[in-house]
Amino acid sequence: QNNKAAVLPAPPTRLKDDDSGDHDQNEENNTQKDSEKEKNDREKPQSTTKRKAVVPGPAEHPLQYNYTFWYSRRTPGRPTSSQSYEQNIKQIGTFASVEQFWRFYSHMVRPGDLTGHSDFHLFKEGIKPMWEDDANKNGGKWIIRLRKGLASRCWENLILAMLGEQFMVGEEICGAVVSVRFQEDIISIWNKTASDQATTARIRDTLRRVLNLPPNTIMEYKTHTDSIKYVCWPGGCCRLHVCSGSSVHGTGLGRNARVR
Amino acid sequence: MSGRCCHGQTPSRDIPGPGKCLALPDGAPLPPGDYSTTPGGTVFGTTPGGTRIIYDRQFLMECRNSPGAKTPPSNLPDIPGVTSPSVEELKLENHHVQNCEEKVSTGEEEQFDMDI
Repeated sequence: QNNKAAVLPAPPTRLKDDDSGDHDQNEENNTQKDSEKEKNDREKPQSTTKRKAVVPGPAEHPLQYNYTFWYSRRTPGRPTSSQSYEQNIKQIGTFASVEQFWRFYSHMVRPGDLTGHSDFHLFKEGIKPMWEDDANKNGGKWIIRLRKGLASRCWENLILAMLGEQFMVGEEICGAVVSVRFQEDIISIWNKTASDQATTARIRDTLRRVLNLPPNTIMEYKTHTDSIKYVCWPGGCCRLHVCSGSSVHGTGLGRNARVR
Repeated sequence: MSGRCCHGQTPSRDIPGPGKCLALPDGAPLPPGDYSTTPGGTVFGTTPGGTRIIYDRQFLMECRNSPGAKTPPSNLPDIPGVTSPSVEELKLENHHVQNCEEKVSTGEEEQFDMDI
């Protein structure tokens, strides 16, 4: 369990908005631009509160890492930039064992039953679900777009694989997100080092296995500045398309070819 | 202590398939505070980064039914529509959905209908 000590809370910074990068490019940009003024307001996250260390109970099955559930929801009709991220994102709780995970999970709605513009985030304790966290700032994420009706099952498979250390990429995994949107849902898994292609390839292959993704599923790997799209074929994944810069946001490719 | 399929020395072989390894025998307790011990002999795998605690999906799903996994967390925040208010209803619904899904998602079969 030495690894647990290595995950330290990062200094509070702006919480991210939309993990997917799929929508609301303008809002996202605005958020980044005018966030300075509100930053001070946001720099009082829940983690500054003194908390007792979460440890596995007697006879429980310890996890490799402690994890924290977060929930966020965008208030309809209000621009993101004027909202406090503290109001939008809530810590649900932290767990250290398999049993403690189920206690939370069984008392939360499934993502498919969420309404509105909502996200569940499950990140290692001490890593905030935002780009600016030290653990995420050089990282990226695999994104899979799902037609409605699949999110609950895929999310469960994804987080069980993460909690059970099925990805086999050492310390690289940061967390996972499920984003409930209007016409589709998005799941993603974040890792620390976007430039580590061996790691990102292994995460991609593990995702395909644990999610039972069908052929032709679009998988995108995104960093802040790049996005690469992959299509899963029976024999492996082929790179489809490479974009640079934020213009990739909102591209219709993923939507049209999402898992149906 | 290199697990049969869980040490990361050989990248081409060390990703265990779901349900194929590392299930802890029923009732095997973990000694609190001594995580380097390997009760049941298969939960822990050695990787270049050190010992890691690995569970497959099947084992995690089995843990869901243990009594210690069912009580609500004492510090669960009240978020309407997310964690509250109808916990009992959610439980029932979750179990119902889960049972239905388990029937169709066991093994390696295709989980998706393809109509692209």
